[in-house]
Amino acid sequence: MKSKHWVWIRRVSQAFFLCLFLFLLIESRLPQDIIIDYSQSLEDSQELRIQKPIRFFFQLDPLIWLTTLMADHVWIQGFAWALVILVITLLLGRVFCGFICPFGTLHHLIGAIKSSLKGKTLFNANRKSGSQKIKYALLVTVLLSALLGLNIAGWMDPISFLFRSMALAVIPGLGNGLTDLFGMLAHSDIKILNLMSYGEMLVWPVFGYDYRAFQTGWLIGFLLLLILFLNRIKPRFWCRTLCPLGALLGLFSGFSLLHLKKDKAKCTQCRQCVMTCQGAAEPMPEHKWQPAECLTCFNCTKTCPEDALSFSFKRPASKQALPDMGRRSVLSGLAVGAALPFFGSLDGYVHAVPPGELIRPPGSLPENEFLSRCLRCGLCMKACPTNVINPTLTEAGMAGFWTPTLIMTQGYCEHTCTLCGSVCPTQAIQDISIAAKTQTPIRIGSAHFDRGRCLPWSGNGPCIVCEEHCPTSPKAIYFYEDHVIGPGGQMRLVKLPQVDLTRCTGCGICENKCPVRSKPAIRIISAGETRSRRNRILL
Amino acid sequence: MKPISHPITRRESIKKLLKLSGSLALSGSTLLSIQNPRPVAASSTANSFIVDAEGKTPGYAIRDLVQKTVDAAGGIKAFIGKGDVVAIKPNISWARTPNLSATTHPEVLKAVIELCQEAGAKKVKVVDNTIHGARRCFAITGAGAVAKETGANLVVPRSSLMRDMRLNGHRLDIWPVFTPVIEADKLINLPVAKVHGLSELTLGMKNWIGAVGGRRYALHQDIHQTIVDLAQFFKPTLTLIDAIRVMIKNGPSGGSLADVAVMNRLILSNDPVAADARAASIFGYAPDDIGFIRLGKKWQLGHYDTEIPQQHEVSV
Repeated sequence: MKSKHWVWIRRVSQAFFLCLFLFLLIESRLPQDIIIDYSQSLEDSQELRIQKPIRFFFQLDPLIWLTTLMADHVWIQGFAWALVILVITLLLGRVFCGFICPFGTLHHLIGAIKSSLKGKTLFNANRKSGSQKIKYALLVTVLLSALLGLNIAGWMDPISFLFRSMALAVIPGLGNGLTDLFGMLAHSDIKILNLMSYGEMLVWPVFGYDYRAFQTGWLIGFLLLLILFLNRIKPRFWCRTLCPLGALLGLFSGFSLLHLKKDKAKCTQCRQCVMTCQGAAEPMPEHKWQPAECLTCFNCTKTCPEDALSFSFKRPASKQALPDMGRRSVLSGLAVGAALPFFGSLDGYVHAVPPGELIRPPGSLPENEFLSRCLRCGLCMKACPTNVINPTLTEAGMAGFWTPTLIMTQGYCEHTCTLCGSVCPTQAIQDISIAAKTQTPIRIGSAHFDRGRCLPWSGNGPCIVCEEHCPTSPKAIYFYEDHVIGPGGQMRLVKLPQVDLTRCTGCGICENKCPVRSKPAIRIISAGETRSRRNRILL
Repeated sequence: MKPISHPITRRESIKKLLKLSGSLALSGSTLLSIQNPRPVAASSTANSFIVDAEGKTPGYAIRDLVQKTVDAAGGIKAFIGKGDVVAIKPNISWARTPNLSATTHPEVLKAVIELCQEAGAKKVKVVDNTIHGARRCFAITGAGAVAKETGANLVVPRSSLMRDMRLNGHRLDIWPVFTPVIEADKLINLPVAKVHGLSELTLGMKNWIGAVGGRRYALHQDIHQTIVDLAQFFKPTLTLIDAIRVMIKNGPSGGSLADVAVMNRLILSNDPVAADARAASIFGYAPDDIGFIRLGKKWQLGHYDTEIPQQHEVSV
């Protein structure tokens, strides 16, 4: 097969995996057409599950497999795919980067649409540079801190990065804008504009009808734009310079069986190969080829007008270049990797009691195990039907940055919903059943009243919206009738709500529906959560 | 405005024009955006009826009970005409399975939809602004399955379908209304009978809380009056209260089979107060015990069930 064909096979593969990724990303929510056969549900309850899980992409990722193995000493089901990728890398090089990785494809695409670099600047940008060692430093940091119990792979892992950016910034941003637009059209009195509002039927399958909000969504979106912008400085800047998964695969591909065979005699120094090289892997015959940097895009062999370049399984006469990690980058990676888990445990609430506002999703592991597994990928946040799960900013400390927390003013944990645990790729949130969640029960926190703000308690009138919505049976919020002093000193007979801690699961629908909006009169704190031994309340 | 007694200068005329256009724009933005209600066919009190149905035979078909109930009132064609757009407002607000009876029984919903379709309705919409996430409510309550089986249009509540309207109530003046409820030729109220912590019961008139948007959690501060305010705005052709399975405690959300009693009853009326009053008797309440029923009569929305001339009892 000619190298021209390989380039086309690569393009088709890239397009396929990028589209598959985006499709599964959009489908990572409660299915739009799911229904339960009610004659059966009259007998028992069924679990609602996502039919097309995106977990497959995470299971392909050897960095996730390795870091969870090192940090929590667990082999998570489904991650044999990562080993397949590693074996392929040993045989053929960074095929994952060139053919599969959707984030890499996105960079490739951005660089290809309109390159800002031409001529000599492009040639210089595509030569190997010292900055490419940074990714090895990042890899060493990620691996060492994983070994010491803090898994930060998700911050930089390309699959997690892309999922988080798309799910928590790009899609909700576009979705909210479109919802606004169609809302405006629907409320217009001009007939034609009003009719145009039915266009929302077309965007709804992708973006949904609801406004979505995610804490730090602006930062997540800004980082994506920044990293995409870097492609203007160097093609596939992320893949060459920053990607720790690329670094890991680079270490393996340094020993791959597939080699770039160069015919120095044929080379006319036209530099075409360097101009199209995606990985800055030095394809020109007069330079030494860098197998660890090669993204196996087949551009060089296709472009070469003299057929001086070809890929071959034959061992070349001269010795291959080893992965150029750089002593200093490894040492600095080791230093940061050792420091992060220790500094992280200072405010990461591994040994301390977590702050009240850190509410983990139902079924979450205890905090130290949670931090050794959570990828901060945002899959639970995307899947959550009420938008309650948000990335943390400071709630979980530095070590827990971007891990999930529940913000009850934004949503609530639905009593019979177990979707977040069913999608979590590393099972940092366990896949629990409705029965386990409601019967055990699995508590995520507990509710408490702020009587100064509560309408009945403060004498401002009847309410008990919290009691109405409380989903447990019998209700965890009960009330008794008594007289309270109202404004002006008159006595009012009202129903005064109280929390029964033996029943409260911390679901937060009381906080979400409380008429006191910005800081509700009933709020959830993490105290009482099942997953923590230290943070329980009752004997 | 003062009468003009001198020749108008250019400066003055510009000022006046600016004032006029400004006030027009202002009045336009406040008045035009608030829609006055489109009247939905109101029931006349002279022709009021009430049908009390009970399924007595074990294993009876709910479809038959609904059919017989409506037939006793004169058949569905007396209410739904050919080519009508019908909005049905069930209570499917909680993501609870039908056996927990926090929501309208799916088979009752299905029977009513089918009756409307048999009467020649052009389109049947199932509308409810749910409390729990709409997707989960539709999936779990059985409403989604019913819509799929019957071809009825299950409307997903969303902000573009909410519109500020003048309710002209005692407590509620301007409030966002879920427009598909009122954009119909005929409206059928299809609540489930349940107990409620604050209003004692939730029946037909209280079901209209699910037909509005906005700050619904604030309605509880004067729950009976706000229910009546909503009930004088939404005027259903029929109210059919589902009391097949009734939540007798821990309402309105329930969550356990221990909260449910099987009553096998249906109450049909074109008088919203009478329907609620009869349904309240199932729970052992007199109409006067329930604030919103008492207020409903006081504000002349209807009569107590005992005052209704046409009383029918059917059973299957």
